[in-house]
Amino acid sequence: MLTKRAMTTATPPLPGAYAGKLLRVDLSKKKCWAEPWSPADMRDYLGGAGLGAIILYRETATRGGKGNVAWDHPDNRLVLATGPLAGLPVWGTGALTVVTIGAMTNGPTSTQANGFFGTNLKYCGYDAIVIQGQSKDWVYLYINDDVLELRDAKSLIGLDTWEMQDALNRETGLSGHQLSVYGIGPAGENLVRFAAIHGDYGHVASKNGVGAVMGKKKLKAVAIVKGTRALKAADYRGTVQAADDIAHDLRTDPSAKSLYEYGTLPGVVNLGKLGALPIKNYTTNVPYDDLTNWEAPKLREGFDHRGHQCNACGMHHCHMQVIRGGDFKGSIVDEPEYEGWSGAGWAIGARDKEGVSWLNTQLDRACVDVNEWGWLCGWVMECQERGLITEKQLGFRLQWGDIKGSDRLLQMVNRRQGFGDVLAEGVKRAAEKLGGAAKDAAIYTMQGCSPRGHDHRARWEEMLDTCTSSTGTLESGVPVHVTELGLPARINPFAGEEVAMMVAGIRGRRHFEDSIGICIFTGRTRLENLCRALNAATGWNYTVDESMRFGRRVAAIFRATRLRCGIGPDLEKPSVRYGSTPHDGPAKGQAIGAQWAKMIDLWYEKVGYDRKTGKPSPKTLKDLGLDWLAKDLWGRKA
Amino acid sequence: MARRHLIIGGGTAGMNAIRTIREEEAERSEIMLVSAEKPYSRMVLPYYLDRSISESHVFTATAAVLAEWGAKTHLGRRATNLDTKASVCTLDDGTRLEYDDCLIATGSSAVKAPVPGAELPGVHSFWTLDQCRALIADVKPGGHVVMVGAGFISFTILNSILSLGAKLTIVEIAPRILPRMIDDTGASLVEDWLTRHGVTIRTDARLNKIEDAKGKKRLKFAKGGDLTCDAVIMATGIRTNLEWLKGSGIRVNQGVVVDDHLRSNVANVYAAGDVAEGPDRLSKSGVVHAIEPTAQEHGRVVGANMAGRGVGYAGSLVMNIVEVCHLDVASFGAWDDGKAEATVGVKRDRHAYRKLLWTDDRLSGAIILGPSSDIWTTNDVGMLKGLVQSQVPLARFKAYLKTNPFDIKPAFIAVKTAGRLLPETVLGRPAKAPGETPVAV
Amino acid sequence: MSILKITPERCTGCLRCELACSYMQTGEYQPAKSVIRVSPFEGHTSYAPYTCVQCAEGWCMTACPVGAITINAAGAKDVVDDRCVGCKLCTIACPYGTMFYDPDTRKAFKCNLCGGDPACAHACPTAAITYEDVATSDWLADFAAERTQRLLVGV
Repeated sequence: MLTKRAMTTATPPLPGAYAGKLLRVDLSKKKCWAEPWSPADMRDYLGGAGLGAIILYRETATRGGKGNVAWDHPDNRLVLATGPLAGLPVWGTGALTVVTIGAMTNGPTSTQANGFFGTNLKYCGYDAIVIQGQSKDWVYLYINDDVLELRDAKSLIGLDTWEMQDALNRETGLSGHQLSVYGIGPAGENLVRFAAIHGDYGHVASKNGVGAVMGKKKLKAVAIVKGTRALKAADYRGTVQAADDIAHDLRTDPSAKSLYEYGTLPGVVNLGKLGALPIKNYTTNVPYDDLTNWEAPKLREGFDHRGHQCNACGMHHCHMQVIRGGDFKGSIVDEPEYEGWSGAGWAIGARDKEGVSWLNTQLDRACVDVNEWGWLCGWVMECQERGLITEKQLGFRLQWGDIKGSDRLLQMVNRRQGFGDVLAEGVKRAAEKLGGAAKDAAIYTMQGCSPRGHDHRARWEEMLDTCTSSTGTLESGVPVHVTELGLPARINPFAGEEVAMMVAGIRGRRHFEDSIGICIFTGRTRLENLCRALNAATGWNYTVDESMRFGRRVAAIFRATRLRCGIGPDLEKPSVRYGSTPHDGPAKGQAIGAQWAKMIDLWYEKVGYDRKTGKPSPKTLKDLGLDWLAKDLWGRKA
Repeated sequence: MARRHLIIGGGTAGMNAIRTIREEEAERSEIMLVSAEKPYSRMVLPYYLDRSISESHVFTATAAVLAEWGAKTHLGRRATNLDTKASVCTLDDGTRLEYDDCLIATGSSAVKAPVPGAELPGVHSFWTLDQCRALIADVKPGGHVVMVGAGFISFTILNSILSLGAKLTIVEIAPRILPRMIDDTGASLVEDWLTRHGVTIRTDARLNKIEDAKGKKRLKFAKGGDLTCDAVIMATGIRTNLEWLKGSGIRVNQGVVVDDHLRSNVANVYAAGDVAEGPDRLSKSGVVHAIEPTAQEHGRVVGANMAGRGVGYAGSLVMNIVEVCHLDVASFGAWDDGKAEATVGVKRDRHAYRKLLWTDDRLSGAIILGPSSDIWTTNDVGMLKGLVQSQVPLARFKAYLKTNPFDIKPAFIAVKTAGRLLPETVLGRPAKAPGETPVAV
Repeated sequence: MSILKITPERCTGCLRCELACSYMQTGEYQPAKSVIRVSPFEGHTSYAPYTCVQCAEGWCMTACPVGAITINAAGAKDVVDDRCVGCKLCTIACPYGTMFYDPDTRKAFKCNLCGGDPACAHACPTAAITYEDVATSDWLADFAAERTQRLLVGV
């Protein structure tokens, strides 16, 4: 039971779409057990981010709620949660939301991946896995309906994430989506701070060092056999109808159509035109290669590509590809997302597309966050160019665009060899260690999380969002169908106040999406449709208004945990380079630094949080129905 | 005058022959059926035993259906003599039936191990409907049943005994269970599974004697302690019903020797099912398989030939499946060929086992074990049959299957097995649904 | 007769067909009870759905000892639940691996083309599964032969 509730004589029936149980794992005690959760909690916390937020808040406090356990403490919880839509025929509902105290910020995280994790888990009979404790020896968690085992992972140690999945497939005699495996590669084993949790050949929950948390717990992987249980929908026809309407929206709506056709690939050209493509560690905003060569159809046609979709998804988004030529000819790789083309490409000055594609999968295999890799590797390249990191210090010469050199650096970082040990701490800590000009050249937020793969100096809403976030990454996300929320369809991207109003205005939607178990890309439909799908599946009556209130409740709970972790408003700002002003390109001269204070103030006002302490105000909390949290945060004053 | 077909035996082979004659014949013929019992399916007796189906469900052709088919029936009668020169069959009541052609499909009977006490009341065979009824009366919840013989027949009723709430002990003279259906490794997995499910198994147990013991039965063995129980089931073998053919001039080896049209040495006499020594699909030599699918195919092929179609038979494939406590156990083809190259895979945590037997790059036999709830087992069962049946060369996939014996599906599909199988039909035309048989007008 | 035509090149392995099928078969989402199943090829880069080809012989139908498998109005071989006793003979008789057994109901089950309106074809977002009046065929063979080349590397 997550929350204590008055006992009533009648137990409400299990809502549709839920498996009905949480899978608890204590690695210290080597125990696994199933724990039912109540329909009332399902309604309040949904799943995914919402469920993770409340578990984290309830179970990671120290000093009577004044402090919080650190990311590497055995009492840290690693929540791998699905949502009610996971495993249903709604597009993109592979649904894995990882919630934990992350290694990058040492604060809360919510980061999403898909594939078939959620599907397989729910058909085994569980809505989420909650992991606590630390194992003495390396183990992996094996789930097959009622069979729950912590198995010896000795033979898997040192394997990358793809090799590990191959090995587990062989060991279990299963293939394809019969077995979903999420876990860590060498980077996670060696506690690289920006290690991610990778799975199902190319899917990743990448943010805030969740892979390091797994590594610290000595949990190499979670392997879930596709279960044999059933899921009911409260209204089957309604669920399919809502799913089909969402699909129609995604196919036809201008805000989603290109995603439907090409996934995130068009981002390279689109962001390049805005000056938001991060080029060579933010040293320029003028592309070094003709962008027409980087149009989505060309990126795709350059490879022998094959669909590799998540559960029930019709988007032409996730793909596998076979590299046709060059040094890496014949390799099977995961088609890079936009973030791959930027982090393993533009951010490090690469122009060899086969190479970028190959490197992107190397990162996936090693289990590191591709965004942080772009900032780290680009920074090393710039520092070498400028003599701030010597060849001797690094052990070799690494120039812009050097794919094999970048992989060499990756292997050093993975294994914490030589200077790789410093770099394994992420660019923030490495830069702070070096100090001076090197420090000023690094891209990070003062909280410690990695910005995603844009030049946010031309995308202010994301810089504001990332800096103020309580989830170790973009928290409120990309504005989608904002008019539905009464927000203007278009704003001036360089007018600080308009940006702050927008970021505050959309707050909550992302948390809702991350809680119902849908991919952030297939969630790019009207909230009304998402609510319809949720209601048909569960039998509830969520409205658009309630879904936003839900999301803001979750945001408030995450924030409360973040503050308990000692991450206050003073850290809500960009690093020197991250917050600098572009000196060329389409956003030349647009200075976010000049408007920052004003933006932050307005944002605080609009989200209803206290500017000084960072806490959601008592009024905000009460309005959200979080009286209990108001009491926790403000005591009698509430 | 209409052609006169005589069908001797109302089991699977006989019934399929009658249906097929009606489906295939150009002109309406006369069909006579001689059967010691009303036609029913032995395959489903275990389900009648545990009362999951009613008794009426076991019958394959009721009197009304037989009438629809226009079969003149001699039920409750046995054939006692076949005069192949005169083409006359004599029944046990003296009736003489003249025929133009005739099918011998008299099946087989259960044989009890020849130990003292085997004929006592309460010592059962499980083969016929009557024996099934007798057993139903003797298996009680909380009672103790001992099955002598751990072969296929025992295993088909194992679930039924357990579901009736009885305690079950299986004794087997051989060192292990299922000696004629799976290999040692498979048997050890099944034994382990059954033990976990509360079944007691005693191998290497030579039964010496069965005695009455105050309303119960006591079994005495060559070594080891006695067993006392409420009912004994002797599943110690079957014997083909061929004695009555002595002196008929029909050539009999293990069974009636038949050619690829299932014709005996006498041109107008066919044999089918358990009594027929027909062609084996793989070796092409004559064998008695005594299994349901063979009886069914035999019956249809004979029926078509009796109707004048001239259908050659590709031969039958040995296959068996039995489910015990939700564990599927199946084998195909030459699974016991000790000389064949074998590939073995065991996943103890999934209780899954595969054994593939090779002739060059083709599968000549296979064994498969796995829980019924293991959703990937069923697919593999059929696909292994397809690989053995089609004799498709696995080529480069042989090496793959040798390292990945559990990943049958990509190999099955990529070597184009389905394409080979699609044109094949037993009678050279699409099969008809059970209700499609033309009826008398 | 219309049948399920599979165009494997279009399949992305999303398994939506399995969900739709299991709903039609059981009234719940339960891919374990889907009679269309998606297989991976070549190191998980390729997928294709596999289901009953509605073969001419109908090995399942002829094998059934109690006549529980018949041909429905859509022309599909179909299990009559009331007749099926769950003896599994059809599961070994079918050489395509497309007869299934449900341990919960103790009945065999198979693709019955949803009686003429197949749910999998509706559910497929990429039209890899279509319901067409064409002759049945080994739809996956060429695709699988090509897409398993790499699978065998390093055997």
